[in-house]
Amino acid sequence: MNERSQQDEITVECTVPDAPEKVWRALTVPELLAAWLLPNDIRPEEGARFSLDGAPGEGGSVECEVLEIEPQRLIRYSWRDKGTARDGLETTVSFRVLPTADGGTRLRIVHEARVLVRKAVGQRLMACNSNVTPTMKMAA
Amino acid sequence: MMDTERIFRALADPTRRAVFERLAAGEMSVGDLKAGFDVSQPAVSQHLAALRKAGLVSERREGRNVFYRITPEGLAPLANWMQRYRDFWPERVERLKTVLKEMEQ
Repeated sequence: MNERSQQDEITVECTVPDAPEKVWRALTVPELLAAWLLPNDIRPEEGARFSLDGAPGEGGSVECEVLEIEPQRLIRYSWRDKGTARDGLETTVSFRVLPTADGGTRLRIVHEARVLVRKAVGQRLMACNSNVTPTMKMAA
Repeated sequence: MMDTERIFRALADPTRRAVFERLAAGEMSVGDLKAGFDVSQPAVSQHLAALRKAGLVSERREGRNVFYRITPEGLAPLANWMQRYRDFWPERVERLKTVLKEMEQ
């Protein structure tokens, strides 16, 4: 299993005729973002924590923290939901806004996931703990 | 990128998926797997080889017998995430395009 990669990404790109400033608003104004992504309380400031409501396939909220921001150009935030927490994944989503020659915008969305805790390792640790506990109790 | 793609490809074949699902019940030999299954032994072996290559199945030798089992960490956790988000983002981008059309400049 060692040779298997421990990260993966989903990339979606699109070109729209709209100006970059307009696309930026659709990414960072809560009501506009809610109209296409998920209901949210986003604040486009580095370190800001916010949440999105309705994680796909899981329900519940997506907890986010703004990790990187370059106004009008880039916003990247952490993306944590019930499923990623359960699977021991750390995921981030970045939105890159690039002007095109004809006044439009190229938008590149990258959702990256990285394995933080191997499930097998976690299970082995749990097994170790359950062996240790009775001995400790007997010693006490 | 390649890792989860390989898993999805390995499980795209219905017979191969059936082999994988049978193994979910527990460790089996090729003979056990073939029982009550309208697939030849070489075909079963070929599917097992593909599943092993994708990291979904592992084998254990005991004397002359070989037993197969699913690798629990083979599917999760990246594949779970990929399954939930691979269609989500393209769908949302389509919605974004509509929202942009309706927005003021």
